[in-house]
Amino acid sequence: MCHRWPPLAKLLSAIAMILAATCVPVAHPLIGIVTCGIFFAHTLARIPLAYVARRLLFFWPPLFLMAISLPLSQAGQKGWLLFVTIVVRGTLSFSTALWLVNVMPFDQLLATLRRLRIPDVLLAILSLMYRFLFVLWDELDRMRTARAARLFRKPSLWATWRSAAHLVGRLLIRALDRADRIHGAMLARGWDGRSRWIEQPREDRP
Amino acid sequence: MTEAKISSESSTVRVERLSFRYPGGPDVLTDISFTIAPGEIIGLVGPSGAGKSTLLQHLNGLLPSQLPNEVGHVSNVSHVVIDNLPVARQTIAEVRRRVGFLFQDPDDQLFCPTVFEDVAFGPLNLGLSEDEARQRVRDSLTSVGLAGYEPRSTLRLSLGERKRVCLAGVFACQPSVLALDEPFSSLDPRARRTLIGILKKFPGSQIIATHDLDVVVDLCHRVLLLDAGQLRAAGPTADILGNAALMERHGLEVPWRLRREN
Repeated sequence: MCHRWPPLAKLLSAIAMILAATCVPVAHPLIGIVTCGIFFAHTLARIPLAYVARRLLFFWPPLFLMAISLPLSQAGQKGWLLFVTIVVRGTLSFSTALWLVNVMPFDQLLATLRRLRIPDVLLAILSLMYRFLFVLWDELDRMRTARAARLFRKPSLWATWRSAAHLVGRLLIRALDRADRIHGAMLARGWDGRSRWIEQPREDRP
Repeated sequence: MTEAKISSESSTVRVERLSFRYPGGPDVLTDISFTIAPGEIIGLVGPSGAGKSTLLQHLNGLLPSQLPNEVGHVSNVSHVVIDNLPVARQTIAEVRRRVGFLFQDPDDQLFCPTVFEDVAFGPLNLGLSEDEARQRVRDSLTSVGLAGYEPRSTLRLSLGERKRVCLAGVFACQPSVLALDEPFSSLDPRARRTLIGILKKFPGSQIIATHDLDVVVDLCHRVLLLDAGQLRAAGPTADILGNAALMERHGLEVPWRLRREN
């Protein structure tokens, strides 16, 4: 049901949930209520728990790596408390962000951020990133397929890493070339460095 | 489909003794001269790497390092004149408004999340009001047969649709010249037909770089043959593309429709 909320309401509730998750001390009982609130929001939006869990599996390793430095550098209970704080806050904020991107189409999110007067440069970065992430992903996919098509036996670990490094390098060069072409395409339609934008008429929306 | 006004004018393009090289590289273009009359459709043919794309990019000053500083400044590079405007720093905005450029890969040109935003990009940069911009979006989408596509995501379109949205984005600036870089590559026959139909209705001048010589026969009044950065031949379509010896010499083939029965 959260999907039908007005866009601004969705964005503001996400921000409120993140603020709550990061301001309440982890040891305080309130954090339990915040956690329940966030997962209640997921339930309302009918986001499957397995979906959230799968994404958390990708999110946790770097988070743990970052947080583990604290108990190592700060002796005793204080270090571990900080560790738990970072993990809990990270997890809750990440879950909230997941909720937001699920209840809100990306162009709606951008339009709402624009209404909140987020600087144009940030919005342009977000918008281009979202647009070309998929294009780059397709490109990577094609390169991987091409590699797999010519792999006739299982490569050694070393060879796998080596070819992965090549792939990433090639992708970077392709991305830079593409950035050049996109810049050209923007110039060709009169872009002068300033973003201009009008809202899509309501009745045109799906 | 209602006819929408997508352009009101047509321009002359004059290229005079244009030479170009990328910094530190060999010559890409050598001493190119030609003229496109208003309303004329020119086919730009030649083997891959002949310099076709580079030549097109010169028409609206997309190679900025090569722009001379002042109008009329004597320079050994920029020699492109659109109507009476030499392509130079001061004229670049107006030149780009008159010359619409269609890129080979629509993913390079569709950089906004929705079709509406992408087509509105040009008109808004031209300083049009919101209402005018909306009208232009509607008109140009109608003219490419995609009316009602405004809210669609640019990610979820077929290649043919993406090319047509790109073209709508170009039409929205109401250009008087179209420069099209390989517009028909990888299109299926129906998408190709549709695109040809759209281009035929465009009233302004056009220059089309393509390997699809059948389309050139169908669409173009004249042909420029480019090879290794030099203009090797120019003339009426049938004369150039029907000349077997010439085509053979430059790694091209006489299109089926121009082959004479023995």
